[in-house]
Order: sequence, then C-alpha cells, then structure tokens
Amino acid sequence: MRGDYKTVGGKLVTVNFDLSGGHLTNVQVSGDFFLYPEEALGDIRQALEGLPESEDERSIAARINAAIGPEVEMVGFSPEAVARAVGRGLGRDDQ
Amino acid sequence: MTINKHDVRLYPEGIESRWRDLDWEIVGPAPQRPAMNLALDEVLTRRVGHGDRAPLLRFWGWAEPCVVIGRFQSVSNEIHLDRANELGIQIVRRVSGGGAMLIEPESAITYSAYLPPSMVEDLSFQESYAFLDSWIIDALRRLGIDAWYEPLNDITSAGGKIGGAAQARKDQAVLHHTTMAYDMTEGLLTQVLRIGMEKIRDKGIRSAEARVGPLRQQTQMPRDEIIDHLYDSFVELTGASPGALGDAEIAEAEALVDEKFGNDEWTFLLP
Repeated sequence: MRGDYKTVGGKLVTVNFDLSGGHLTNVQVSGDFFLYPEEALGDIRQALEGLPESEDERSIAARINAAIGPEVEMVGFSPEAVARAVGRGLGRDDQ
Repeated sequence: MTINKHDVRLYPEGIESRWRDLDWEIVGPAPQRPAMNLALDEVLTRRVGHGDRAPLLRFWGWAEPCVVIGRFQSVSNEIHLDRANELGIQIVRRVSGGGAMLIEPESAITYSAYLPPSMVEDLSFQESYAFLDSWIIDALRRLGIDAWYEPLNDITSAGGKIGGAAQARKDQAVLHHTTMAYDMTEGLLTQVLRIGMEKIRDKGIRSAEARVGPLRQQTQMPRDEIIDHLYDSFVELTGASPGALGDAEIAEAEALVDEKFGNDEWTFLLP
C-alpha cells in the first residue's frame, strides 16, 4: 500500500506499508520534506509500525506527536500530513 | 492590487550585514564524482562547525551524470531505476532533505555554503532559506532574469522554476546548497524521475517538465560566465577571499566516499 500527501505550500510525504492481520507492517516514510534531527525519521516510522488499520487520523497524528521529542522540527510537513498519507494508503477519502 | 513577488522580502530587515561579519572563503568549480561532491559537503560542514576552517562557499563541478536524491526520499518512489541504469546515470543520496535533482554535468550550476549557525540564529527555516538565497536572486536579476525566492526552498522566475536549495544542520554548522538548471535535455527528466500528480497538485501546472525554466532559456550567457558572475557577486557581497580544499579535507572526503556516499547501504537507505 502507498499513500501520498503534499502539504499545500509544503512538501510531499509518502507512506509505504503492508497490512498483516489488520495492522500496518514494513512501514516506510519518505518524501522531499526536511526533518531535524534526521534520526527522528525512525521515531515517526516506529509510531506507525503495528498500527491497527482502523485507527483514525487524529490518533495517528497524536501517536506521531508523542513519538518525537520536543526538539524535533518537521519542515514542510507535519504529523497530520503523515496521518493523511496513511489514510490515503488505506483507501480512505479526504475529509 | 497585485503584489510584486520581487519586492517581498521574506526575512527580517537589517540582517544583511551578517554576510560581511564572517571571514568567508570561496572556491570555484572543479569536476568531482557525484559521491565525492556529497562527501565534501559532509566534511566541510563538520570542519566549519568545529572551527577548523573558515566559512566557505564552494561551487561544484560535475564529472558524471547523476540523480541526487534527498536524505529522506525513497529510491524506487522517485526514480525509474532501470532507465537510469540504461542511461548510465548514477544515483546518490545527499545529507540534506528536499527533492531529487537530475544532473547533467554541463547543465547544472550547484554551490554549497558552509556557515556557523549564528548567521541564521533567530530566523525560521523559511526565513533562513530566503536570506541565504537572497544574494543569488540579486545576482540573477543583474543578468536580467526575473527571479525570486518561493517558499519553502525554490528559486523560481517568470520563465519557470530555476532551482532549489536544501539545508542540513549538523555538527554545529549549517550546510545550505543550491542547484540551478542551466539547461535541460528535453524528455530526460520524465524518463528518469517519477513525479506524481500529488507533488505538483498545488502548483497549478500540468507536468513536472513544464515547471522548469532553465537559465539558458532566459539568458544568452554561457554557463561558465554565469558561474563567474555568481562568484564575483558573492565576493562583492561578503569580501570573500579565494580558498582551496586542503589535502586532508580531500583525503577525508575520499574515505567517506568508500564508507558511505559510494555505497548502496547509504544510497538505498530508503529503498
């Protein structure tokens, strides 16, 4: 599965994943965004790994927020943008 | 009322003097392998951050065609890998975020600035891009090119997108590098790069190629003369003195090519 979301005036985020038993696995988060420090990408990915496919986007974004430290700067994208990409990957319509 | 984009300054007033506050060095272009250019960026950023060398502006030379992908991009999502291989176009990954660039050696103009964080302290990321690109915009305008900075990290013009910048912040330094299209082989971009509609959805255009406005379409000046003009413009702004890469720096970068930038482990970090 793959979902893309581009923040208006910002950058593209793509989430690739497989579904196994109703959970996201083999998650990859990529895109032309900026992220400081770069190691935070692993935390964002970890927040999505094993996620139930029924999870709504608001709680997906909250999980990402909780997983990254306060010092992390997401530039051109956001936890909400990642959550929207996951939602699209799951075939959910835009709200 | 229309706002003239050229006249919108997207960084705080009064900080222009920061350019002259540093003792800059400047290095002109010498062709390097793609992975070596990226390794030099890492080495020189670290050395500036650790105070081992002066802040530096380095023009790149390109020895071979390549696609340079951003730190957080996936190779297979961005590149038609089979086509790139057929065409002999290497794939390399840089340390900064941002998007993929297709480089033909005589068709791109690239430079890196390595500077201490004090130069952009108290600026937002967007303001720092606007500020660090401001001299290049001014220099392009002096060539009669109607260029401006477009958030977040584009350099664009009335004739289309010219290029983009990307920053990495690590080792107590800021790396700000910019690539501009001088020329473009028609059709090559879309053969090699995958550019989905989602990426250009908010740009109001129909294709990725239609976005690009290489400098050669906008000025008669040869590429080398444009680089000379940019070099002189930076010297005039900052008082930079001519520098050179040290033997130790080159050796360190060559080791990094072997360990990192020339390896699939790094290039395919996000497959």
